[in-house]
Amino acid sequence: MVEKISTGCAGLDEVLLGGIPENTITVLMGAPGTGKTILAEQLAFANATPEARALYLTTLSEPLEKILVHGQTHGFFDAAKVGVSVFYEDLGVMLRDSGVDKLPEIVLEMIMARQPRFVFIDSFKALNELVTTAHERRMITYDLANVLSSYRCTSFLIGEYSQDMMTELPVFAIADVILQFIKHSTNVREQRFLRVEKLRGSDSVPGLHAFSIKKDGIEVYPRLLTPPAAPLYAAQVERVNTAIPGLDEMIAAGFWRGSTTLVAGPTGSGKTIIGLHFICEGVLKGEPGLYVGFQENPTQLGRIMAGLGWQPEKLMNEGFELMYRSPVEMQLDEVTSELFKRVREGKIKRVVIDALGDLERSSIDRQRFSDFVYALTQWFAAENVTCMMTYELTNLFEIHGLSDQEISNMSDNILLLRFKEGEKMERTMRIIKTRGSAHDNREHRLEITSKGVVIIQAS
Amino acid sequence: MSSPGPNPSVFAAQNSGALILVVERNPVVQRLERYFLEQAGFDVEFATDGLAALARSREVRPRILVTEILVPKLDGLSLCRALKSTPETQGILVMIFSHLHAEDRATEAGADAFLLKPIDEELLIETVKRLLALRQQSAGKDLDG
Repeated sequence: MVEKISTGCAGLDEVLLGGIPENTITVLMGAPGTGKTILAEQLAFANATPEARALYLTTLSEPLEKILVHGQTHGFFDAAKVGVSVFYEDLGVMLRDSGVDKLPEIVLEMIMARQPRFVFIDSFKALNELVTTAHERRMITYDLANVLSSYRCTSFLIGEYSQDMMTELPVFAIADVILQFIKHSTNVREQRFLRVEKLRGSDSVPGLHAFSIKKDGIEVYPRLLTPPAAPLYAAQVERVNTAIPGLDEMIAAGFWRGSTTLVAGPTGSGKTIIGLHFICEGVLKGEPGLYVGFQENPTQLGRIMAGLGWQPEKLMNEGFELMYRSPVEMQLDEVTSELFKRVREGKIKRVVIDALGDLERSSIDRQRFSDFVYALTQWFAAENVTCMMTYELTNLFEIHGLSDQEISNMSDNILLLRFKEGEKMERTMRIIKTRGSAHDNREHRLEITSKGVVIIQAS
Repeated sequence: MSSPGPNPSVFAAQNSGALILVVERNPVVQRLERYFLEQAGFDVEFATDGLAALARSREVRPRILVTEILVPKLDGLSLCRALKSTPETQGILVMIFSHLHAEDRATEAGADAFLLKPIDEELLIETVKRLLALRQQSAGKDLDG
């Protein structure tokens, strides 16, 4: 079995199914400023000990002084380890004097002197520019790979490589692991992603994984995948109520535990209040609930709850959890990562996501969002968490479709809210679908009273 | 097999200077082996193919022969069998040191130890010392008997 070393980043270890295989060569590639050096140093400091030393060789991309100054701004950097467990050397200066063809020899000498378990060359690509012919580049790369593979060390070659260089440069042939750092810009927004391009002898979680650079280094949010085992619905279906007068009676078997209900409607139609009913009823029954909101901040939400006769502070003490995120600069997988953590830590039984559209806008492509919602609903089912997701429709009166993303197909139940045109604008609700249960499919009046939502049964 | 037998604490000063014959074709590995073994006080000689190593073993009778499996002319396992089947060389301790996961094959060939590459200097030196200590211990028993 291949031993793996931690990257110092729990999310990335999850993507790599445990970490980087020992005694391998990893290429960290990506445009300047994407976070390669930060991850490399994070990894060095997470693993290095006086017995398992890290040798960090800078070249001609950034002076050693700059790397040290920037490195120290991160929480992982431990100055006490420098010169004891982590050794920085300026390889660029040595190569300028001796010539780049001496690279393998110099690295071998350094390995014999320091006997490191981790070797970093940052930037390796910058050395390419000193090489005059493709033949020379291949020979140097081959000889360096021989040095790094002969000694028991795990090596990292860092470079500002782009995707199109992968088929051209020999460094990609000698690499056992390739991690690509990507910066994705949409208008003024920027999101960072990481992809495992190659992982020899091991599996990994495929696709793009969002990450952010924080004070403590890189934090990776593994892409949400459908749980490997399909959720098993219990033979005895457990009913999960909303306690909304008139609503629970409309569904014969109630909402199943672990099901997902989509509440779709235009602004002001009562979606948020239905979600609050759902969470508050659960809390009153001893089921902790998580309200994930992107529009109303905690103060605004508290005001809505108080206005409807609920006591926010008391509910918070009894299991009502609020996760508020501003929709600006939001990253889909980062939100999911925190949501899952809070569901597991808080033993959450009910979740409301208000609203899906905010998550959709933070996704870099529509297909990805559709896959994401499917995986999310499957994850809730597998965890036996009952979920309600709101979805805002743009048209107040004419409802043409629930969504472009086939989200309606992925939901077990759909409640459609709308306004009826007339002298007095009237709210209505209709159950479009309940998976595995009969329901009243008539359109009923929905009223928002001082105690919340009430469904007035049509006669 | 990488930790052969008991762990005797009788590694004596007379072992420093013991000759180790290393069969290795990769010059980088040769450099690393020479560096770490000499640093630990051993004399090191190299052969780059199995036949040369067999001839040199008959000549100089090294205490230990360290061999990669994948060496030219006579592979490391065959070399080990050849040494162990001849009375004059069967006393040479053989350590197979290879990238191949071939511990069982090394045992079948009569090797005294097996180590997987790449080089972990601590493990290499420790294994060499243990082999020598084991040999001393058994030699002591022979004398006592």
